[in-house]
Amino acid sequence: MENALLIGLSRQMVLSRQLDVVANNIANLNTTGYKADNSMFEQFLMPVARENRFNVPDRQLNFVNDRGTWHNFQPGALQQTGNPLDIAIKGDGFLVVQTPDGERYTRNGALQVNAQGQLVTMDGSPVMGGSGPIVLQETDRDISISPDGSVTVVEGADTQTESQRGRIRLVTFDAPQQLQKEAGTLFSAPDGVTPTPDTQSQVMQGVTEKSNVNGVVEMTRLIEISRAYQQVATLLQQQSDLHKNAIHDLANVPS
Amino acid sequence: MRALNTAATGMMAQELNVQVIANNIANMRTTGYKRQRAEFQDMLYEHVRRIGTQTTDQGNILPVGVDLGSGVKTVGTPRIMTQGTLTQTGGDLDVAIRGEGFFKILMPDGTFAYTRDGSFQMDAQGRIVTAQGNLVQPGITIPQNSSSLTINSQGQVSVVVSGSTTPTILGQLTLTRFINKAGLLPIGDNLFTETPASGAPQDGVPNTNGMGDLQQGNLEQANVEAVTEISDLIAAQRAYEMNSKVISATDQMLQSVVGLYR
Repeated sequence: MENALLIGLSRQMVLSRQLDVVANNIANLNTTGYKADNSMFEQFLMPVARENRFNVPDRQLNFVNDRGTWHNFQPGALQQTGNPLDIAIKGDGFLVVQTPDGERYTRNGALQVNAQGQLVTMDGSPVMGGSGPIVLQETDRDISISPDGSVTVVEGADTQTESQRGRIRLVTFDAPQQLQKEAGTLFSAPDGVTPTPDTQSQVMQGVTEKSNVNGVVEMTRLIEISRAYQQVATLLQQQSDLHKNAIHDLANVPS
Repeated sequence: MRALNTAATGMMAQELNVQVIANNIANMRTTGYKRQRAEFQDMLYEHVRRIGTQTTDQGNILPVGVDLGSGVKTVGTPRIMTQGTLTQTGGDLDVAIRGEGFFKILMPDGTFAYTRDGSFQMDAQGRIVTAQGNLVQPGITIPQNSSSLTINSQGQVSVVVSGSTTPTILGQLTLTRFINKAGLLPIGDNLFTETPASGAPQDGVPNTNGMGDLQQGNLEQANVEAVTEISDLIAAQRAYEMNSKVISATDQMLQSVVGLYR
């Protein structure tokens, strides 16, 4: 096979993966707490493939490879919902969620209360406080969550006594890029990455953090990808035409 | 290509979003209606190159991996149980709740349902019923020859029987609250039923334990805000369009592949 075809193929493979990333971003345009992904490419030098048919110094062939996807941790737009159980985090912090697979981290602060009174995510996984899940009592009302994450309620009969139900735990990471995305707007920390308590971030009540996907950027990226893909396809087309002509012309032996 | 399916999940999610918004707007003037919101989450990721894998014998590890997501899923349409505004109607049997509680309603099949809609009526026997004719619990019968029906903020129902000057207390309306109001199951007609998610119902007298007090002559409006719904609708529609563009872009790319072979 011709090298040009292989190089074109490597580009097309990478473009179709990048399209997958862009499609996933656009699909999550309205997902609370979603963080966009971006693709990274690298030049890939094939150790054995060389272009040395002509008598010039060796020219190495450059293939393209997608090295990784990185998470864009920019804060998303805040949407006011007025729901006392919606929280957004101002800063780099993450909420800690207890799932069956262990602790996970999320920026999605659309919370609910389950039948046991625990503060849970939409999936029903408890949100962790300083010491275990935050549990509300049956007679609690007027839930207020202060910027430091303390959950305070008005309790009991006609009294105005406030009591604290716990404090939402916020954590940060030195290298958040090492976090791995999981389904359900959750992030998991691979081995060796440990969270540190976050003292900088603040909790805002009654707002949710929208997806940080920028529609305009993703659409331009989409155009870019589909045009580049077509361009490569045309290149491959011309290359194969070249072959066809060569075979046709060279085989045309005059009698 | 995976992008086709990913974009399809995006379109389905936005379609559902528009459905939820449409239902909110349709119920803008429904007494005691609580707005819903569609909540989405991302779906499974394929870790093509896993973060943290070793790349060289010297122990270098990958700082970032290739994660390909597969779209979006709807995780729920929770109800936002905030207080709606009260409007004055002047009706004797119009009662609004200012607080957390629900009215308890006896359904024809003997089960209980719960509602925030306090636009009650009187049936032929003088009992307090909902607009569908279901009994409000606990049953209170208003005598025929009575006037000036009063429901105080504690839920006490009293009337003045003709020939008497002092009001007679007929009974006490109770309210019910749930630890997780958003976990109630809507069954239409402004009614909700208990579910394992809502927790067990707790009955109580209005104005105690955070039940909220009653306001006679008022009705609770829906908590739908037109501006929020319309801006959500615009966002949902545009997101739908963008997802459809992804599908057509993928289609074009596939076409150019097909065109390779002549």
